Amino acid sequence: MLPKGGEVAMKTAQETNRVLTTRSTSPAALPDMEGWVKFARCAEESGIESVLLSFSRYEPDTILIACAVGRATRKLKFIVAYRMGLMQPTTFVQQINTLSGLIGGRVALNIVAGSSTAEQHGYGDFLEHDERYARAEEFLGICRSLWSRDGEVDFEGKYCRVERAKLNTPFIAPDRDAPEIYVSGHSEQAQRLALTRGSSWLRLIDGPEKLAPLVSRFRDQGIEVSLRLCVICRPTHEEAVRAGVAMLPDEEIGKQERDILSKSDSQTLKQALAAADDVGWLNRNLWAGLVPYYGSSAMTLLGSPQGLAEIFLEYKRIGITQFIISGWPKLDEMLIFGREVLPLIRRAEAPSKEAANVRRLKRIGKSTGVT
Amino acid sequence: MLPKSGEVAIGVPQTPQQAASYRVESTSSSSPAARPEMDGWVYFARRAEEAGIDSVLVALNRYEPDPLVVSCALGRATKQLKFIAAYRSGLMQPTTFVQQVNTLSGLIEGRIDLNIVAGSSKLEQHGYGDFLSHDERYARAEEFLAVCNAFWRSNGEVDFEGKYYRVEQGKLNTPFLAPDRTAPEIYISGHSEASEQLACSQGTCWLRVAETPEKLQPVAARVRARGIRICLRLGLICRPTREEAVRAAEALLPKDREENTTRLKDDSQMYKEGAAVASDAYWLSPFLWAGLVPHYGPVWTTLLGSPQELADAFIAYKQIGVSEFIISGWPEDDEVEIFGQKVLPLIREAERKHPC
Repeated sequence: MLPKGGEVAMKTAQETNRVLTTRSTSPAALPDMEGWVKFARCAEESGIESVLLSFSRYEPDTILIACAVGRATRKLKFIVAYRMGLMQPTTFVQQINTLSGLIGGRVALNIVAGSSTAEQHGYGDFLEHDERYARAEEFLGICRSLWSRDGEVDFEGKYCRVERAKLNTPFIAPDRDAPEIYVSGHSEQAQRLALTRGSSWLRLIDGPEKLAPLVSRFRDQGIEVSLRLCVICRPTHEEAVRAGVAMLPDEEIGKQERDILSKSDSQTLKQALAAADDVGWLNRNLWAGLVPYYGSSAMTLLGSPQGLAEIFLEYKRIGITQFIISGWPKLDEMLIFGREVLPLIRRAEAPSKEAANVRRLKRIGKSTGVT
Repeated sequence: MLPKSGEVAIGVPQTPQQAASYRVESTSSSSPAARPEMDGWVYFARRAEEAGIDSVLVALNRYEPDPLVVSCALGRATKQLKFIAAYRSGLMQPTTFVQQVNTLSGLIEGRIDLNIVAGSSKLEQHGYGDFLSHDERYARAEEFLAVCNAFWRSNGEVDFEGKYYRVEQGKLNTPFLAPDRTAPEIYISGHSEASEQLACSQGTCWLRVAETPEKLQPVAARVRARGIRICLRLGLICRPTREEAVRAAEALLPKDREENTTRLKDDSQMYKEGAAVASDAYWLSPFLWAGLVPHYGPVWTTLLGSPQELADAFIAYKQIGVSEFIISGWPEDDEVEIFGQKVLPLIREAERKHPC
């Protein structure tokens, strides 16, 4: 996860909470090339493959940030979050294709059907949750047709209509002719959209035993599953737990956070909040305690380097291929992950030199290291 | 005008004819114009900066890369040059558009302005999912810009309910970031009554194709009276003498037409006379020629002459209140250099002697 504007310079988790970063005076509203480029280069050095750029009305536009940071980096890929209902599919494809040509094809998409109703209204989108998914289905259908470059595209649906659509600028990448599409959301509609139009379903982390049946459903249909989570890695499990608890905000901010989150109509967030309220700890290493204050993606895996490496491998065994990881502060946690955890995972994946070539194909993640 | 992708041939001399044939073929899907190519653009942008050019227009159409994304990449690679990104209403929600433009402003020190076009050909608009008629497109553009301007002017939430757009409690935290202003310049282009109205109600500058100063004078006065600036689009051919400029211009006429004309001339007195009348009509003034328009489009209304004649022509426009010019050339990079070296110093000198 790419840090917000100004976040790389922030020292404490509390500074990055939603109440503060959604204020119009927050540095999160301003592009922060210095912080982003620093983070991106560290990510490349840490063995991270991609970063997610989050979309909201509180932050700068993801496509343009990916362009600017992509021009300043060489390897890192950008998973650009975008919502449906904000632009015409032809225009969206034209922007994504342009971006691909400017940054060596290092762009993927995280499609979100929508967010809170209030925020969508500010963007001129007045559809209800379920209809937003129906529209996303049409939208991505047109996008996929344009990417297949099989002549002019005609489409007449309930929400989108194009006639003889054609763009001369193709998606330009060394190895593909369309971006990967991560569809996020926990609702039934989100899952269906991931299956019909996506290349990966992106969801919150949960216990491996709970995820296993869901994962096979997607894998059977050729769709990958990626998890979003936060990581707190410390020398011992106890230290990690202490560090997690220290990130809880003060009471007043906590209340305001809860208030913001309760306005969302996201199924994902509702489930995560329920988990936080019901149990707090989903298992010894998976903690929902920060979700009410930092949002649904704050479902946190904590432990020692060895403990965490084993957990990642367990997720790999049930078929998870990619992880989008956040931390507090993001930069520090990423550096710890790259230095302490990732080498243990890679070593476990390739125990002997002879087996290395075969196993390389099966490495976690085309990218364990999505962050 | 920013050259199209692949149009600039770095270090390789390019004749005006080669530049013209590149242009004509640029709508083909195999043209390099479809693929962003930074080297040529950066080369051009730096020459433009050296030439004393303030801004470049970046076009939007389905044959080329997206102008906002291109302005971002190019803006990051330059220091002074401003980018006038062309965009059409009907392609995205105004809130999203403002978010993109504001983001871009923060990434390139505010060096972004907009050229809003109500629409283009029906065929092209249909491909973008826009099925409104010409007049409706203007009504929509009016609403689109009203919402955009509301975001740029207000610090609070934006509410709007129109025929084409509806926004409720719209709010963006990312502001337009520039050292000297809080919103981009908005150039509205078009010749119709509707475009002039739109420029006056929502724009900051009306952009139109060059005409003679006499013809433009009353229009310019009318628009200026409403506090809106005037910018002209034109092609430029500058040579040591007017005769050479005219020869260079005529050499840009497509070959087959020349051949046809020559062949027909032998046969038909009537055609000869007709052709003569038509060619005369192309000269709007001794220095303003529309002869390329039927072949390359109206923006190729061309100002041609010697450096001194061109400087005088620009000053004449300035005297009737035109304050900006968007200039194209064949090839773009050579003409920009000639303009910067030969014409601009004469204009600046005249301005010093007779400040308006």
